[in-house]
This record gives sequence, C-alpha cells and structure tokens, in this order.
Amino acid sequence: MNENKKDIKTTEDNIDEMEERALSVFASERNEDLTALIFCLITTFLVLLFTKWLV
Amino acid sequence: MAETQKNTPLFVMGGILLVYGFIANTGVLLPVMKYLHTHKYLDLQVIMCLVLGALGILGGIVNSVRKPQNTTLDRFVLQPLGGVLLLLILAMAIRWYLEPMVKILSKNLQPTLGFKIYKVLNLNYVVLGILVGVLITNTIGIPKFAAAGVKTARFVLKMGVIMLGARYSFAELAKLGVYSVWLIGFFVLGTVFLVLWLGGLFKQPKTMTGVLSAGMGVCGVSATVAVAPVVKAKSEEMAYTIGTILSFGIICMFIFPTIGKLVGMNPVQFGAWAGTGILNSAQVAAAALAFNAVDIKTLKVAEIFNITRVLFLPVIVLVLATWFGKESGQKLSFKSVVVDKFPIFILGFLLLFLFSSLGLFSPPTHYKGKYIDVSYNDRTRITDEEREVLKSAIQGGAISGLNSTQAEALNDLVKQGQIAGNFDNRSDKKLFAKVGQDRMFALESILAAAKAKQVKLPKDVKSAVKHAIKQVHKKSKTVSTLTDCMIWFFAFGLIGLGMQITKKAIMQAGGFPLLMGGIAGVTKATLSFIVVLWLVKDVVLK
Repeated sequence: MNENKKDIKTTEDNIDEMEERALSVFASERNEDLTALIFCLITTFLVLLFTKWLV
Repeated sequence: MAETQKNTPLFVMGGILLVYGFIANTGVLLPVMKYLHTHKYLDLQVIMCLVLGALGILGGIVNSVRKPQNTTLDRFVLQPLGGVLLLLILAMAIRWYLEPMVKILSKNLQPTLGFKIYKVLNLNYVVLGILVGVLITNTIGIPKFAAAGVKTARFVLKMGVIMLGARYSFAELAKLGVYSVWLIGFFVLGTVFLVLWLGGLFKQPKTMTGVLSAGMGVCGVSATVAVAPVVKAKSEEMAYTIGTILSFGIICMFIFPTIGKLVGMNPVQFGAWAGTGILNSAQVAAAALAFNAVDIKTLKVAEIFNITRVLFLPVIVLVLATWFGKESGQKLSFKSVVVDKFPIFILGFLLLFLFSSLGLFSPPTHYKGKYIDVSYNDRTRITDEEREVLKSAIQGGAISGLNSTQAEALNDLVKQGQIAGNFDNRSDKKLFAKVGQDRMFALESILAAAKAKQVKLPKDVKSAVKHAIKQVHKKSKTVSTLTDCMIWFFAFGLIGLGMQITKKAIMQAGGFPLLMGGIAGVTKATLSFIVVLWLVKDVVLK
C-alpha cells in the first residue's frame, strides 16, 4: 500500500518535472526565480552605477 | 556538414543583424528612423545588432565544430541561442518598426475616428508582441531551431516583472488622501475577491481565475503580466484576460461619459468614477477628456484614482501568491502556504518597490520615474526673456479672463522666475511644496482654459507658461533606464508566450472568462457609481 503511494508520488513528481522542462530551460521553478532575481539585481546595480553614482 | 546545416538559421540571423547594424551605422536609415521617431535609438540599434549578430555567428561556429553535450553551456546558451536570437529580432522589429508604424497610422486615423486607436486598443509592444507570437505559432509554427529558446520566455518575463517594482513608490500612495485610498482599496480588493468567487462558481481553473482577478481589479495589462507567473497562468489565459479587460474598457470608455453627463456628475465625481471603474490608463484618460475637455480637474482626479489603483499592485500580488499557495498546497500550515509556495521572483519585485519607495532611484514621491520639482532652484527657471514677456503681457492687459488663483500663480511666476512655493516660507517644506504644486496646477488650468477659448492668452505667453510647467516636470534617468530594461524583457517574454498560444487552446477556454470579467466589471462600475455619487462631493485629495 505504502509502496503504491510512493509510486504514485514519484509519477506525479516526474510529470511535474517534465511539465517544467517543457516550459522552461531550468530544472525547477525555484532555480528560474533565483536566477531572474540575481540577474535583475546585477542589472539594477549597473544601472545605478552608470546613471546615478558615477554621473 | 549536417551540423552546419542545423546551424544555418543562426548564421543567417547573425548575418542579418550584422548587416543591419552596419547599414544603420552609416546613417542611411536616419530619414526612416526620423519619420518613425526612433532616431534617438540609433546608437542602441547599432550596438544591439552588432553584438547580437556577432554572438549568433560565434554560436553557429561553436555549434558546428563541437558535439552537443549535456553541459550548462549547452543547456543555457548554445541550445537556446537560435530561439533567443529569433525572439530578440522580433522584439526589435516590434519596438523600432511595428509599434511606431501603428502609432503613426493611428494618429492619421484620429480625425476620422475621433480617438487614437493605438491608445484605446492599447496596441503597444505588449499586445503587439503577443499577437505576433500567436500569429507565428498558428501559421508557420515555432521553427524547430527556436524551440529551446522560446522556453526562456517565462524566465525573461519574470525579470521584467521584478523590474516593474522600480516604477512605483509607496510615498506616492501616502501622498494621496486617506479617503481616496480607502475607496480604491475597497474596490480593488472587492473586485479581486468577486472574480475569485465567480471562478469557483463557474468551476474555472485557479490559474485563469487568479490572473483574471488581478486584471479586473488593478490596472489591466501590467497587472495581468505581473500576476500570470504568480498563479502559473497559461499563456492563453493571460491573453484571454488582456482581451477581456481591453474590450470591457472600450465599452466603458464610450458609455461612462454619456452616463456621467446624463446624471449631472461634477468633474471630481466623474474623475473618481472613471478612475475606479475603467481599467486601462489610456482609456481612463480618454473617458475623462470626453466628459470634460476644459476642466483639467476631471482628468487629474481620474489619473490620481488610476495611479492609486496601480499602486495596489504589490498588495494584490501578495494576496494572490498567498491565495494560490493555499489553493494548491496540500497542508495548510503557514510555512507551506507562504514560505514554500511563495514565488521568489515576487520578492525581487517587492525589493525593487522598497528601494524605489526609499528614494534609491528617484525622489520617493515619483510615479514611473516622473516627479515634480517645485523646490527653489536654477534647474527649474524660465528664461529672462520669457519672464519679460509675461511681465509686459500682465502689465499691458494682454491677458484676460483669469480667476484670482490663476492670476496669482502667473504673477508669482513673474516674481520668482519659476514655479515654486513662497521663498520666505521655504523652511516649512510641506507648505512650500504644496503652494508650488497648487501654482503649477493653476498654470495648467490657464492653458486648458486658453484651449477652450475661455481665456485670452497671447502666443508667447502661452509658450512661456508651457516652458515653466515643463521645467518642474522631471524624469529620473535611473528609473527610465530600468524601465527600458523592463520593456525589453517584457517584449521578449511576451512574444515567446504568444508563441505558446494555439487556436485550440483559445477555443478550449470558452466564454466563461469573458462572462466572469463582464459580471465583475459591471458590478464594480455600478457600485463605484453609487458610492461616488453618494460620497464624493468635491474634494478627494488632501
């Protein structure tokens, strides 16, 4: 019974992962979000540097 | 050889970009760019095309000589490069050619139609991007070489949403009267919850209901784009929401002024109603101007109500992220609902909103990077000649029809040479800023009255007043640049998302979203109509 539940959970996880891979180049949405956040913070820092701090 | 053939699109796109970059650099395209008003982006066009073109060629060469592997470089750079370049070329074509052409066409059609179709239908890069994506996917289909690159669209769109936070500031919200904030807050949250409830009633997917509730409640297109990844809405659900809110807005834009006039609303009441009931900013402005083109108060109040609604976006994002986490979470503990399910990129959006509110990018009282500088300084002065023109016009009696506030503002402009508070009161910053803003408002109303021929204003006086007003309207370079980044991220992401919308998917959504949007919109318009007539008498601002 327990093993059956485990199998179902594993299949659901697989479907989730495959859906995720079909929508994104990232392995998980968490990675995608974190990368977006880091890229944006770097962009913001560069924009501030060249439009405010160094001007 | 086979590898090279597979990489032909990369070489072709890289080549096209390089050729365009070189041609643009010679200045041959300048007349066309001037006609399209894109000449100020000439340097950007050259740099972007040359850099991306070189990257395309380089990527093509590397892909040809190297066997595909399962490395990070392959997954994130080499495989998606073709699709990324395609989306960027389309984004550039839309930003630099299609959007300006639609604007020009819409301007030419204005005398016939009576309104700018570009503004009313919101035909900017957002909608055009989705439409181009939909068109491609439903005609030629997504090219095989672009499949991996299109998968980066959601990621780039999230970057755009994070950048969106830099455009708003909490200080702008705090500046408004408590009364109007409560009124708008009630309607925004009320509409969101009404749509969520209707979604349950019509058994619609949570993803569709979530994105539609934000679109109907807050400010239309940008709210929809920001919330779509939060509630994991599918591309077609996002497109459906945008379609619903824009079509509902068009109907409102024509009906609101007629109803307002029929029941005899005053300018402030109509401004409050339009700002609350109509969703799209451009449609709000069009309705306010259709109701009353002379009294600038209508447009101002409508815009203030509209801005306040937009400022609720961070709150709504939080509410919907929590709601979606709760709906899809199996255990209802606080940690699993809010911490585990909360989208990390929304933290980025809130972080930039916080930076913006603290004044890191611009004075905290800005809205979309624009702020009014009525402090006493050299940067906001008019020229000595303009001052002389104003002085002799007032003394010679060339201006007539002004009320006492307008006359006082004009006299002070001559006295101080700029729009500002009373120099003697400059230690009381709040009072100084308020007097300055009131004077700017009075000068704006002079121009509106002159347009309606209620005030006699010589041409050179009009130009001096216009210059004085322009001088106090400042724009933060930091926010403008961050906004430019956001626009590119959105343009890229939305074309990619548009490419995921097939005819079949649109048909599957059925008519329920339209029905839910219609019910929520009509309820909000009716309730706000009653509340505004009942509560809003004249003054809604502090």
